[in-house]
Amino acid sequence: MDTNTIDYKKERAGYYKILVGLLLLTAVTFIQPHLFMTHSTFLAQMLIAVVKAWLILMFYMHLKGEKLIIWMTGFSLFIVFTFFAIVIGVDVQKFQFQDESYITKSSTKAHTTDAVHSEPASHSAH
Amino acid sequence: MSHEYIPEIATDRDGNEHEVQGWQGDFYGGKLGFWLFMFTEVLMFGAMFMVLSYYNTLHPQDFLDASASLNRVLGGTNTVILLVSALTMGLGLLKMRTGDVKGAKLMIWATILLATAFLVIKGFEWSAEYHHGIFLMHDQLLAESPLPFGQKLFFGMYFTMTGLHGFHILIGIGLMIWLLKRINAGKVSQDHHILYWNIALYWDIVHLIWVFVFPYYYMIGAGGVTGGH
Amino acid sequence: MSKSYFDETHCAIGHPKSTFMQWMLTIDHKRIGLMYAAVMFTFFFVAVATAFVMRLELFAPGAQFIDGDTFNQAFTLHGVIMIFLFIIPGVPAVLGNIVMPLMIGAKDVSFPRLNWFTFWLYILGALVALASLFTDAGFADTGWTFYAPYSLNTGTNVIFTLVAAFILGMASILTGLNFLVTIHRLRAPGMTFWKMPLFVWGIYATAWIQLLATPVVGITLILAIMEKYFGIGIFDPAKGGDPVLFEHLFWIYSHPAVYLMILPAFGIMSEIIPTFSRRTIFGYRSIALSSASIAGVGYLVWGHHLYTSGMADTAKVIFSFLTFFVAIPTGVKFYDWVATMYKGKIILSTPMLWALGTIITFTIGGLTGVTIAMIGVDIHLQDTYYTVAHFHYAMLGGVVFLFFAGLHYWFPLVTGKMYNEKQAKIAFYLQFVGFNLLWFPMFIAGYYGMPRRYFDYLPEFQIYHQFSFFGAVIFITGLTYMFVVFFKGWTKGKPSGTNPWNATTLEWHMPSSPPPLENHSKVPYVDFEPYEYHHGEPVVKFDYETMKRID
Repeated sequence: MDTNTIDYKKERAGYYKILVGLLLLTAVTFIQPHLFMTHSTFLAQMLIAVVKAWLILMFYMHLKGEKLIIWMTGFSLFIVFTFFAIVIGVDVQKFQFQDESYITKSSTKAHTTDAVHSEPASHSAH
Repeated sequence: MSHEYIPEIATDRDGNEHEVQGWQGDFYGGKLGFWLFMFTEVLMFGAMFMVLSYYNTLHPQDFLDASASLNRVLGGTNTVILLVSALTMGLGLLKMRTGDVKGAKLMIWATILLATAFLVIKGFEWSAEYHHGIFLMHDQLLAESPLPFGQKLFFGMYFTMTGLHGFHILIGIGLMIWLLKRINAGKVSQDHHILYWNIALYWDIVHLIWVFVFPYYYMIGAGGVTGGH
Repeated sequence: MSKSYFDETHCAIGHPKSTFMQWMLTIDHKRIGLMYAAVMFTFFFVAVATAFVMRLELFAPGAQFIDGDTFNQAFTLHGVIMIFLFIIPGVPAVLGNIVMPLMIGAKDVSFPRLNWFTFWLYILGALVALASLFTDAGFADTGWTFYAPYSLNTGTNVIFTLVAAFILGMASILTGLNFLVTIHRLRAPGMTFWKMPLFVWGIYATAWIQLLATPVVGITLILAIMEKYFGIGIFDPAKGGDPVLFEHLFWIYSHPAVYLMILPAFGIMSEIIPTFSRRTIFGYRSIALSSASIAGVGYLVWGHHLYTSGMADTAKVIFSFLTFFVAIPTGVKFYDWVATMYKGKIILSTPMLWALGTIITFTIGGLTGVTIAMIGVDIHLQDTYYTVAHFHYAMLGGVVFLFFAGLHYWFPLVTGKMYNEKQAKIAFYLQFVGFNLLWFPMFIAGYYGMPRRYFDYLPEFQIYHQFSFFGAVIFITGLTYMFVVFFKGWTKGKPSGTNPWNATTLEWHMPSSPPPLENHSKVPYVDFEPYEYHHGEPVVKFDYETMKRID
């Protein structure tokens, strides 16, 4: 890393720009449930988080231009996503004992009486 | 590292000289090593998120209900605090790289202050939850309480993950204090700032984890009031 | 005579005068590797002794001299030591530490102090693991897999073992991290990835598994601790948790961990076969890439441990196919090794004998693994002696046999002495015969339904257990004899010279034997393939003073 040729002002301006971007995205996080994609808050929130993470990785963590480390990061994230895809997407999505299992049965019974917020009748599967 | 090191030269058969990379003073190697360490953090929290979404899949409604009851104001404040602290950390590193040691130290102190503020707010949040009967080994989270499994698991993971994240913040504060000591001892300088660089990276990964922890816990149930999820 | 790494060292803290402290504080990769070896083989013998106690108990049906609870603790102790203290750190920590930097022409690993720290982390983990042996509650009785919910409810000291496994996992991660950076940064000029010796490839693939799989089990163990002490109920169905999730998380690490064990061992095989066939290795790139793809695919097969646990049927089918798929790169390696030997000038030295023996035993272990990767067959054979025999053929007959091969191969490099070849061969034959006699009957017993981890059995299984017992006696005799041969070799053996096997890779081009503190006198420029033989003679020759090629 060449430490002698740093344009201090330019880099500092870069830091502030990213800060503004991140703050805006945080604000979006808060208004999103009332503004857009209201039926898939989870997805919207995670998308915002991914954009924020990308900004932090590329600019705050100086990943831009680091070919080798980007590849390694990509590989690690790929591994995590594969674990998710298999355990969540393939296995538990197809949970075969929804009706007879103790761990799922008791909760569906309990939450209708105990829920903090009233559950709209139109609720379908997630 | 304290061992003196003069780069060696290897000569190939045509007489061309090639500089040998030693383990001493290897900036890129130090950075690479720290990135690799951060992957282990990603995998660790990744696995915890997997546990979380596993039970989210089994108990979708419980998760929304539990999430809706978290304090979004305190959580949001903490998000902003961490965001700003990432900036101060980055600016400090920038100052160090341009030779402004005093400015860099000031920025580290600012980061420590913000990190402490984060922990204090977290403490308020946890104690408020405790008074609502929601805490590990306490009242509603006990095995005999009628709270549905999904909510119990949500809160259990909430305390585990924010607790582990808070523990990382604590370690971060410790690292920054150590960094200040090293700067004062002259071991970290403009030309030799790998330690600073890596601690800044560490602080960013702590922030990065929060970027995902925050929406998954505080925000997924935010639309619950209007009925969407 | 010039000074070797036994005479001088760099230390992590200060410059202690006493030899003892110099060893304790050393940051020299060769010394650290030796210390790992000393500790690891001590534990290895403890675990072998535990296994022998179990074999004794199983000599006849009914309780002989230990009760069922002690038996449970015995197989847990055996598993925990063998897996976490011996075989997972095994080849990378010992041979990887000693040989890998020499092979790539580096002076040391990238972070020598971290290496030192890692060693002591490993010692700490080992102490924590064994500490529970001396507490009132006693050692864990869950088996090394710590399956929930039993591990969360048992009265024995599981937490000690979990914490130990976490610390040892940390040590494993740090070793992997260190090696990855070393391989990326410290290769001698000119040595591209395609010019690295295959052992380094094995270590490289392994290091990725250590780095990216170990954190998962680390966090699983933390979650189990949170559950036990903070009552969260993550894995206990009584509190709403799902034990299948524990098995998922546990095997996400622990299945790649078996590839973590075998890949560096395959690397050893890839060193030994060309050296003792005096031929360039057949299909260098296919072996290197198969290491990488075993590591890659190995991440995705953990589910075959969960066929009978209540996983979704779709997931079972996917895992079954992925598991078959691992056999392909493994098969590629074996064909490459056999093809290397074809028309080679095979020299049956002890390391080569071990390698050839492994080709037989690992093939049995590997192919029986494919049979139980089939869902239907596995439902019959799950948790029987068949499975036990399978993984012992793969682990003991694969990893440990190759580890021994590596020990024989690099013994002259490390000590500068040569052991008695004839006696070493006797030790090999004893172990090879004993090993097969010990484990093969278990395939049959398991097929007829002998379940694993039982301390009693029906009389019809007695014959298999007795064969196994005699096999165990022969095996342990051979094992002990092998270490006696090593010891005698080290104390009384003849000096071996720098390159006793006529090998080609860089670790055999040392200025003196044993190697000096900072390895090669000069770093060479690498413009050659790792295994170049011409008419049975190494092609590349060096002037050991300047490390310039003189061929």
